[in-house]
Amino acid sequence: MDVLLIHIINSLLYASVLFLIAGGLSLIYGVMRIVNMAHGNLYAFGAYVTAWAVGTMAAGAPVPVLLMLLPVGALAAAILGAILEPTLLRPFYRRAEEYQLLVTFGLLMILEDLMRFIWGPYPLSASEIFENFGSLTIGDVIYPTYNLLVIGVGAAAASFLWAFIYRTRFGVVLRATSQNMRMAAALGVNVNRVYVQAFTLGCFMAGLGGAIIVPSQSAVLGMGIDAVVLAFIVVVIGGLGSLEGALVGAVIVGFVREAGIAWFPEIELAVLYLAAATVLLARPAGLFGRP
Amino acid sequence: MTDPGATMLELARLNTFRGPAQILRDVSLRVGAGEAVCLVGRNGAGKTTTIDSIMGLLPVRSGRIAFRQRDITRLPTHRRALLGIGYAPEDCGIFPDLSVEENFQITAWLARPGAAAAGAGDARVFSVFPEVKGFMTRRGLHLSGGQKKMVAITRAMTLAPSILLLDEPFEGLAPVVVTRFIEAVRAIKAMGISLLIAESNLVNATRVADRLYAIDRGEIIFQGNPHDVFRNEDVMKTIRG
Repeated sequence: MDVLLIHIINSLLYASVLFLIAGGLSLIYGVMRIVNMAHGNLYAFGAYVTAWAVGTMAAGAPVPVLLMLLPVGALAAAILGAILEPTLLRPFYRRAEEYQLLVTFGLLMILEDLMRFIWGPYPLSASEIFENFGSLTIGDVIYPTYNLLVIGVGAAAASFLWAFIYRTRFGVVLRATSQNMRMAAALGVNVNRVYVQAFTLGCFMAGLGGAIIVPSQSAVLGMGIDAVVLAFIVVVIGGLGSLEGALVGAVIVGFVREAGIAWFPEIELAVLYLAAATVLLARPAGLFGRP
Repeated sequence: MTDPGATMLELARLNTFRGPAQILRDVSLRVGAGEAVCLVGRNGAGKTTTIDSIMGLLPVRSGRIAFRQRDITRLPTHRRALLGIGYAPEDCGIFPDLSVEENFQITAWLARPGAAAAGAGDARVFSVFPEVKGFMTRRGLHLSGGQKKMVAITRAMTLAPSILLLDEPFEGLAPVVVTRFIEAVRAIKAMGISLLIAESNLVNATRVADRLYAIDRGEIIFQGNPHDVFRNEDVMKTIRG
């Protein structure tokens, strides 16, 4: 029973981080119809910046200070996004999708090398926060408390994003732009500005995912590519461009992966691809996508 | 009927392409302040391209567009809208996932302090089609064709426009509803708002227009009063096919 509870918490932990990554990916696709292959490395960039700030720059500082430094990775990813969208991506919106894939895939590689160049080939750790949070006992299992904070941040980010998009003026303008960009412009919406805002928000979410996960893992090269593959499984299941889809997809992938690790670790990834393939066969646009 | 003095909108020798194909050939036209002008022509004659060019939705290859004597040829679309050019496209462009009310609120939220936008709070906005108040909470997706047309025109009115560009506002409507829409257009004109209406039905056009332009294969082939157009055999042949 306790083991089952641990499995559920682990699934939610994984789903929280996945939602932050896939939600941003889906938001960006929904507004500007661009599949951003580089998205995973914005998540990795967030992880690296936070690990660098917490583990290197402020090493030895009191834990509350370290906790306050946690979001710098998210802010750094947002700033990077705000620079990348107008300079690198904007010229390609009118081109065929192949060009967009090539450009964002190239960007994925460039960001990977940029991180290698800045922080070197070795993993970067921010485990001081993780260790200071200690652990609690669930039944007779010892479980790290920090993981619960990650789930809390994931849930808070999901609610905040929902409220932002469905309950604010900016959200209405964002949805209008994503549904009919020409008509939004003809009503006075500065579409370029909405694009950079949406892209920045998506990158902020990815960076936040990296920032909150890095104390329990480490920032390593290649983490962004692993993450973007899983994020694509999430959006394939949930439907590209749908936030509800990203949320449900992240929870499904979180549970399927945890079950896979627990009971058939040899084919854990294959099970995820099978789940995605099943959804694609039954509903090609994903569970919440529009055909 | 004489032309009103002040010019609201003027196109001078406009050439516009869609991809490699030239659609507009030296199109020149003028809409006076408070004037209702119809651009008539068959499908594919260049009516929508003319309106898209004015709105900045298509780049103009050469020529000049002036709005209240100001050159707007290279201005981005959203700046033209904020200057007071309202637009209701042929497909209405209703945002499907937004409620009717949200469709109206967009312009009000964008209005900069001191700008003209009226927003959904202005009584004039709803005086044209009071019917829309009955389905404010419905989503765009669930509107009928006629309701979409009403929402599109009302939404353009929320910009407090000096001119409205209406692309086929009567298309697909039952004859009795067309009469209702013609009344609405006359009500807008009575507020002193200029109108440029793209219309393929000549009879409807003559019911609302002060002046007409006929367009064929991207060229203006006639301009004049509604009753003159029926006397011009060439134009009648071209427009009615």
